[in-house]
Amino acid sequence: MYKKMISFIVVIGLLLVVSLYSMITGSIEITAGELFKGLFTGTNENVEIIKDLRLPRIVIALFAGAALAVSGVLLQAVMRNPLAEPGIIGVSSGAGFASIIMITFFPTLFFYTPLFSFIGGAIAFLLVYMFSWKSGLNPLRMILIGVAINAVFTGLSELTSSMNASSMMSGISVTSSTLTMKTWDDVQVIVLYGSIGLILAFLVYAWCNHLGLRDKTLKNLGFSVNRARFVISIIAVLLASIATAIAGMFTFVGLLIPHIGRALVGNDHKLLIPFSAAAGALLILTADTLGRTLFSPIEIPASIIVAVIGGPFLIFLLRKSDRIYGN
Amino acid sequence: MEIKDISFSYQDKVKRLHHVEAEITIGQITTIIGPNGSGKSTLLGVLTNNHQPQAGQVILDGKAINKYKPKELAKKLGVVHQQNTAPADMTVEKLVHYGRLPHKNTFSGKVDKDDEMVEWALECTGLYEKRNDAIDTLSGGQQQRVWIAMALAQDTPFLFLDEPTSNLDIYYQYEILELVKQLCEEHGLTIVMVLHDINQAIQYSHHIIAMKQGKLIEKGNPKKIVTKQMIQEIYGVNVVVKNDDDVGMYIVPLGI
Repeated sequence: MYKKMISFIVVIGLLLVVSLYSMITGSIEITAGELFKGLFTGTNENVEIIKDLRLPRIVIALFAGAALAVSGVLLQAVMRNPLAEPGIIGVSSGAGFASIIMITFFPTLFFYTPLFSFIGGAIAFLLVYMFSWKSGLNPLRMILIGVAINAVFTGLSELTSSMNASSMMSGISVTSSTLTMKTWDDVQVIVLYGSIGLILAFLVYAWCNHLGLRDKTLKNLGFSVNRARFVISIIAVLLASIATAIAGMFTFVGLLIPHIGRALVGNDHKLLIPFSAAAGALLILTADTLGRTLFSPIEIPASIIVAVIGGPFLIFLLRKSDRIYGN
Repeated sequence: MEIKDISFSYQDKVKRLHHVEAEITIGQITTIIGPNGSGKSTLLGVLTNNHQPQAGQVILDGKAINKYKPKELAKKLGVVHQQNTAPADMTVEKLVHYGRLPHKNTFSGKVDKDDEMVEWALECTGLYEKRNDAIDTLSGGQQQRVWIAMALAQDTPFLFLDEPTSNLDIYYQYEILELVKQLCEEHGLTIVMVLHDINQAIQYSHHIIAMKQGKLIEKGNPKKIVTKQMIQEIYGVNVVVKNDDDVGMYIVPLGI
């Protein structure tokens, strides 16, 4: 219990520190004092610029991280598979492909991008599910099918964007993510749908716990496994799609964070979901902040930093504990 | 509980149960025996509504079991499966609490009755001291008892056990069987189980259902139906059936 509390306190503390640091660091440098004064009085010109350019980016990084990490937790529960993750099984690339199609062919419907992403993510998820259903959702098979679906959608996205290389596509990258050029409109979308998704995710934490037992056992307890799976899947796809639509493709977050979470706060989703939300937010914000400050004025996409930090960290974690998930 | 003319096959269309006809006597222990692949566990699956038979019905309290709402059925039948999974760090008490699911609505909290039943289930299975331990720190016999405790917390008149003694040392096998006997005698539960060991089946059951290749070969009181011929026919094993004044009836396998 002690370890769990400390973990929560540390992550939330870091989240506050990094958020503040991220706000005052960059091409315009100010002190924390100036920042707070400026936020309340609105007279400091630098603070106004930060409010317009840097703050949206920070909020989006936080929500995208939380959404992707929680999406990973939910998918792992639904599929009973420690490797399930929106990036790996194709949900994110499905969502990404749909939003690229959207922007390429119907740029006027920009406002509906989240909806399209959701549909794209849901289709990808459905395909993975359908093709692995026959094998009784065999974990290995499911991941292989997910990898295949992911490859197809990533390929399609690259195809679409290379065919439109001359047009306005430069803003969207297919396989990585930059959080530059984000506006308060983007913030509104991700905060609205992201909050809904995160709240719903927390409401179904008990169902996620139930799915730790076998289907047969649950059925004999009168628990409707299929309904729970369906609802949790929809929430997971919503979270992954909204993050992808606004912040771009991030692999790894949904894999890395839940595993860290399980090691630190255990398998109970009542703690794992909020912890993963906080830790995911911390990860992407840290990555994005490093990305834009390390080699300034060159920006490194946050997703690249996540992958570079995340990979070794995950290997370290796996080597440390052979007990990853379930039995 | 009546088993009426059940036939069942999996998706592969090979018939696993052929016109099985039997009844389960209330308040007694019924054991299903038979060689591997004889359909014992499949029959148990049909009885617990995990498999839908292509023909025939299982009638419980005057109603076919597939007509019950899932939660209503879960208030009547508790099932302990052969293989079980739980998150490794879950505590015994939490897992046993899952047995209360059929008595809850989606978002309703704990009530006193829930705690009462869980306490009772932990007492019965001798797990009271282990209640705060994580599942993966327990021995095989203790884990098996946790799953039985979960089914007991379900507070059902029927308890089904699929090979509850498999993979356990002999001491723990008898520990489970004694528990089953006690649940039947002291708490009036109706018990249906699948066992591999014929002597254990004779010793602990009021009724035996003997299966071979999906067909019910013999059913009734073990003292009457277990004979040299019957074992030869079902298992293809040569045995002698002995009767001892002290230990009752038992069989000794001689060879094949």
